[in-house]
Amino acid sequence: MDPFLTIAEAAKLIAAHKLSPVELTQACLARIRKYDDKLHSFLLLTEERALADARAAEARVMAGAAKGPLDGIPIAHKDIYNTAGIRTTGHSKLLEHNVPSADSVVVQKWDAAGTVMLGKLATHEFAMGGPSFDLPWPPARNPWNTEHFTAGSSSGTGAAVAAGFILGGTGSDTGGSIRGPAALCGIAGVKPTYGLSSRRGVLPLSFTLDHTGPMAWTVEDCALLLQAMAGYDREDPASADRLVPDFTADLSKGAKGLRIGVVRHFYETDHPVSPGVKAGIDAALDVYNQLGAEIRDVTLSPMIEYHAAGTVIITAEAYAVHEPWLKTRFNDYGELFRDRIALGAFISAAEYVQTIRRRRILCLELKAAMADLDILVSASQPGEAPRIDSVPKWGNLEKPSLTMPFNLTGFPAMSVCTGFGAGGLPVHMQLIAKPFAEPTLFRAGHAYESATQWRATRPHLG
Amino acid sequence: MPATISEADFDVLVAKTGLPLSAAQRATLREVYPTFQAIIDRVSAPMPREAEPALIFPVEQR
Repeated sequence: MDPFLTIAEAAKLIAAHKLSPVELTQACLARIRKYDDKLHSFLLLTEERALADARAAEARVMAGAAKGPLDGIPIAHKDIYNTAGIRTTGHSKLLEHNVPSADSVVVQKWDAAGTVMLGKLATHEFAMGGPSFDLPWPPARNPWNTEHFTAGSSSGTGAAVAAGFILGGTGSDTGGSIRGPAALCGIAGVKPTYGLSSRRGVLPLSFTLDHTGPMAWTVEDCALLLQAMAGYDREDPASADRLVPDFTADLSKGAKGLRIGVVRHFYETDHPVSPGVKAGIDAALDVYNQLGAEIRDVTLSPMIEYHAAGTVIITAEAYAVHEPWLKTRFNDYGELFRDRIALGAFISAAEYVQTIRRRRILCLELKAAMADLDILVSASQPGEAPRIDSVPKWGNLEKPSLTMPFNLTGFPAMSVCTGFGAGGLPVHMQLIAKPFAEPTLFRAGHAYESATQWRATRPHLG
Repeated sequence: MPATISEADFDVLVAKTGLPLSAAQRATLREVYPTFQAIIDRVSAPMPREAEPALIFPVEQR
């Protein structure tokens, strides 16, 4: 069996009774058992649950009662998503034995769509920082080269999808935690519009920046997964009360007529990226030009302005979430998360309020800049994956984040692989759309993937 | 330009937090504090008096 099926491919084969969900699940489990001792992408493998899910899906398919394109598809969840009766740790000693009594909303929704849950995935501690080597479990490693970093915090999801262990998985994104690992692991990952997908039952990091979203091999697969995640949740105060569109409806429309703005100063001067990342973006813009898109440069405030506001908010809000434990169990945290979050104790109330005033100004700036555009293009990461032992502790303060501007503003954004850099590891671009314009975001990403060959190359694990 | 702070003033800041920092942990935060404060100062640059926060109070809580 081809271990590297996409969700769309597997769904067609399952619907045609040419692929058994049970056999697909068994193949994924065998691959995890064979290779995950090198990648550490899973914190917990739930084999019995997975096989039970797969058998139930297969019975539905054979009875002509399949639930849709996700029925029988092997997935896993980042270990900050609560799973009823299944350990949910945040990859932290503080929750090492935590077993929630209820599923998070997204877990419920994916279950209802028929997915097969294989287990819980590595994350940076409580979805921030990393890689950390002082936690109860080791950090995930990059399938393209296990000496290299996955980025994070959705590190396990990035590694497991790229390795072909699962066909898709959940991530969360507070400052780039979906788009970063998607970029460095060479997959696709979407941070939806703030409020589109429920956060209820997911361990919080920063209430006003946290987003839930999907990660998969292709843009099309992300669209299928988001379809089963999105929707109003009355009990999530940030949830948007609006109809969910068909995220696959515009996939076949191509890029002709799309109005694309390039935020060149973000990745050329504000945080200069590697030649490989820049070359990948330039080549992608050529592809869009050939496909009939209209392209022009866009200038926003220097990226440090967005980064600074995001950094103050994430640090203050995460400190507020963790303050009780920081005061009583300070040394049970890993060093990296603990020290970054402890800085939140130094932020005054006035400084936090000034920051959320600044946030509104920047949101309005981005809205105005996109008034006559459909898509923005930038980078998600400054280069290829660095060695896992060379990631600086305070990198979050040294240079502005390429992804934070779209957490701060809540606009939907996605990482798409644009090939490989000089080191042989994946490079990428970041696409951004207007709020709740995910169909356009998926349209642009899918048009690029369909016009290039990058989705045909997978990592070799041995 | 990173902000500066005296050791005594930083001790006051740390004491106000109530965090149980070891000497090494205090030293780590002391070293990075000026960089972090410079980020805060950037956000606190003057704005129009009427600039509203991005977050508003929803009177019909749910």
